[in-house]
Amino acid sequence: MYKKKTGIIGIIITVVILIILVFISNINIENLSYIENAFSSIVMPIQNGLTYLKNKISGNNTFFADINKLKEENEELRNKNLELEKDLREFEIIKSENTTLKEYLNLTEQYSNYNTKAAYIINKDISNYSNIFVINIGEKDGIKPNMTVISEKGLVGYIISTTSNTAKVQTIIDTASTVSSTISSSRETLICKGTLDDTSSLKATNISTTATIIQGDKVETSGMGGIYPKGILIGTIKKVENTKNIVDRYAIIEPAVNFDKVETVLVIISDK
Amino acid sequence: MKNTLIIVALITTFLFIYFLQSNFFIWFTIGGIQPNLFIILMLFIGLFGGKRLGIPLGITIGILLDFFISKKIGISAIMLALIGGLGGILDKNFSKDSKMTIIIMTIGSTIIYEIGMYAINTIILSSTIEITPFIKILSIEIIYNIIITILVYPIIQKAGYYIEDTFKSTKILTRYF
Repeated sequence: MYKKKTGIIGIIITVVILIILVFISNINIENLSYIENAFSSIVMPIQNGLTYLKNKISGNNTFFADINKLKEENEELRNKNLELEKDLREFEIIKSENTTLKEYLNLTEQYSNYNTKAAYIINKDISNYSNIFVINIGEKDGIKPNMTVISEKGLVGYIISTTSNTAKVQTIIDTASTVSSTISSSRETLICKGTLDDTSSLKATNISTTATIIQGDKVETSGMGGIYPKGILIGTIKKVENTKNIVDRYAIIEPAVNFDKVETVLVIISDK
Repeated sequence: MKNTLIIVALITTFLFIYFLQSNFFIWFTIGGIQPNLFIILMLFIGLFGGKRLGIPLGITIGILLDFFISKKIGISAIMLALIGGLGGILDKNFSKDSKMTIIIMTIGSTIIYEIGMYAINTIILSSTIEITPFIKILSIEIIYNIIITILVYPIIQKAGYYIEDTFKSTKILTRYF
């Protein structure tokens, strides 16, 4: 009996619901906008917030993806940078070699009248009172004492002693050095000596009383003395010091070679 | 054995100083003037090791130096042996613990060595004597040597007492007992 009643009530409820659904589906949606607005005003702020969060998370995903991409790009650029640095170092080495070879070539061409041997300076004097250096060629290369040493710019000095692989060179700015020289233009003779006072200049003495010396005159080897060949540039007259007694007057010569910077030299082995 | 090791260590120190002098101090100068570390080395070998160590090592180091970079062989050997011997003599009369004494010893050794070198070189090589520039260079060199001595003296002192214990221990005992 109870089961029969429940079945009838269920059927009635279902029919009522169906009738309501049919009724609702047949009315215009615009007529329900106030209900929609009411829901919208409640739901939309939440929806907006959720959408914002979703977008943010989605954006972050892109951000993380970008970081990974950037890392890869960074790594790639670093590798490229390393390669470029390596190339630059190689370029510097080649440039340096090129300069040295050019120096050698210039030297050899400039002094083509002589048989020469190129050398590097491997050690410089540690004393404050003398000025000698050691070069990387010796007896094995045909180097002997008293041979003249020159550079691209002019006279450097001469060989004072040799070992099988090295040679010691006494420079013209050494205090023990004396070079017989002449002024290129007037052919007046002078004696050039190294001084302790200024290691970057030479003192020219024994100037003839009748000689006219002008600042800027070129001074070269005279060929006398048995060590230095004739005509190698020594330097230029920087200053003439006149004394009470004209016999004692002297000149200061600026050497053509910068002895602080010279690295490559040529040893004159013989005349051609 | 210990003596041999010390001598080897001292010659190694000489080589180290040589490379320092020819590569570093060639541009680390005061007005273009370099210090002379060999004088300082020989003075302290003489002071702590005595004449018997100072003179032979002075000759050895001097000859090596002359072979490496000098016009004539033997001049540095004579002068460094002199400084080594002088160190031995000074040790008997002065304290090694006073900085002032050490500074005075450095000044004296530098003057003796450089005047000796200059005089011998001038005579042998017939160079012109230039007193004023020589004094100017010597003065700067002395100042530079003093600065270096003050800076490295604590290390020298430690190593020096070790050398002294090894080379002079019997003499010290004789002196006190």
